[in-house]
Amino acid sequence: MTKPMIEVRAVGKSFGAHQVLRGVDLDVAKSEVVCLIGPSGSGKSTLLRCVNFLESYDEGEVRIEGELIGYELDKEGGRRPMPAARLRAMRREIGMVFQHFNLWPHMTALANVAEPLIRVRGLTRAEANDKAADMLGRVGLADKAFAHPQRLSGGQQQRVAIARALAMQPRVMLFDEPTSALDPELVGEVLEVMRALAAEGMTMLIVTHEMGFAAHVANRIAFIDQGRIVEDGPPKHVFHHSREPRVRQFLQTYHDRNAF
Amino acid sequence: MLVSAHSLGYLAQAAGVTVALSLAGIAFGFVIGTLVCVARVSGGPALARLGGAYVSVFRGVPLLVLLLFIYYFLPIVGLDVPALVAAIGGLSLSSGAYQAEILRGALNGVPRGQTEAATALGYSNLDLWRRILLPQALRISIPPMINEFILLIKASSLVSVVGIAEITRVSMNIASMTYRPLEAYVAGGLFYLAINLTLAGLGGLAERRALAGAR
Repeated sequence: MTKPMIEVRAVGKSFGAHQVLRGVDLDVAKSEVVCLIGPSGSGKSTLLRCVNFLESYDEGEVRIEGELIGYELDKEGGRRPMPAARLRAMRREIGMVFQHFNLWPHMTALANVAEPLIRVRGLTRAEANDKAADMLGRVGLADKAFAHPQRLSGGQQQRVAIARALAMQPRVMLFDEPTSALDPELVGEVLEVMRALAAEGMTMLIVTHEMGFAAHVANRIAFIDQGRIVEDGPPKHVFHHSREPRVRQFLQTYHDRNAF
Repeated sequence: MLVSAHSLGYLAQAAGVTVALSLAGIAFGFVIGTLVCVARVSGGPALARLGGAYVSVFRGVPLLVLLLFIYYFLPIVGLDVPALVAAIGGLSLSSGAYQAEILRGALNGVPRGQTEAATALGYSNLDLWRRILLPQALRISIPPMINEFILLIKASSLVSVVGIAEITRVSMNIASMTYRPLEAYVAGGLFYLAINLTLAGLGGLAERRALAGAR
C-alpha cells in the first residue's frame, strides 16, 4: 500500500490554556481533494498550518509521504525540532495559499512567482522568468505580469499567489480559506483555477466556507468542531446523511442563508 | 570685501567636510543600525538583549559627551584616536542606535503574512531578510530616515569640539578673526540650510520613486 500524501495522527495543539486541536486524525491520499469545513475557531486553519509546520503541534505526528515534519525522533523515542534546512526542504514540496494572498508588494506579479524559484529552487533569473510567465498564463494572468499586486483585484492577486505556489511544483497544495477575503463576484475565478488543478490530479487540502465548491470538487469532506474531526466522508454523506447533530446544525445555517 | 570672499571659500570647504563626515556617519550608522536591528528582532534572547542595551546606551548618552569620551579618554587607555576617526565614530555609533529603532519600527510595519509566505515556500532566514523584509522595511523607513539624516547633519556641528574644520568650527574661527560674529554665523547657518534642503529634496524624490514602484 502506498503511503498517504498527508498523514495526521492524534495531533494535539494548545495556545496556552486553550486546546485548539484534540487528537486529530486525517489522511489525504495522492491526488485526493479534501475540504476541511467547520465553524470559526474550530481549529481548521490551525490544523492546515500544522501540515507545513507554520504552526508547531504539541502531540501526535504529521507526516508528508511518510516523513515526519517539524520534529525528528531520537533513539529514546523522544523528539526534538527538525534541523532548519531539512524543514525548508520539506516545505518546498508543500504549496500554500493564504486567505490574504500574502503577495510581496515590492515586486511585480512576475517577480512574485519568479523570486522563490531563484532563491529556493536555484533557477537562473531567465529560467525563472520564463517559468513564471508560463504559470501566470495558466491562471489567466499573462497580461498582468508587470503589474504590482496593489494594481490587481483580490481575485487576480489570489491567482498570482496560486501561480507562485504551483511554480515550485509542490506535491501537495494547502489552501487556507482562499476565497474568504474576496468580493463575492471574484470568488468564481479563483475556484475555477482550483477546480482545474484538482482535475489535473493535484493533492489538495482546503479550508473553505464554499460549500458548493466543496460538494462538487472534494473527494472527501472533514468536518471539524472544537478541535476534533467529528465527520469525515464523501460530500454526499457529510452534506446529506450525516447523523452528527453539530454537522447538521452547521449546514442548516448555510441552507437557510441560501434559501432566498 | 576681499576678506568675505576669502571667508566664503573657507566656509565652502568646511561645508564639504560637514557633508563628508555626515555621509560617513550615515553610512556606518546604517550598517550598525541594520545589525543591531536584526540582532534585536531575530537574534535570539542574548543578542536581542545586547542590541537593546546598545540602543539604550548610545541613544541615552549625548553625542557631545560621546565625542569627548572617544577623543579625550580613549587615549588614556592607550587608544590614540585621530580627530577625524573620533568624529565619524561618534556620529556613527550614535546614529546607529536611532537607525536601528527606525528600522525596527519599519519592520513591524511589514505584515506577518509576508514572512509566512516566504517561510511556506522554503526560504532561508538570510533570503527572507535580504529579499522580503529589508527591502520593504527600507521603503517604509524613508521618511523617518531622512529626518534622522537631517538631525545628524545638524548634530555634526558638535564635532567642532575635537577640532575638525567643519562649518561650525570655521564659522567660529571667522567670527573671532573678523570680529563679525553675526555675518559669520548667518553664513554658516545658510550652508547648513542649503545642505538640508537638498537632502530633504532627495528624500522626497526617493519616497516618490519607492511609491511609484509599489503601484
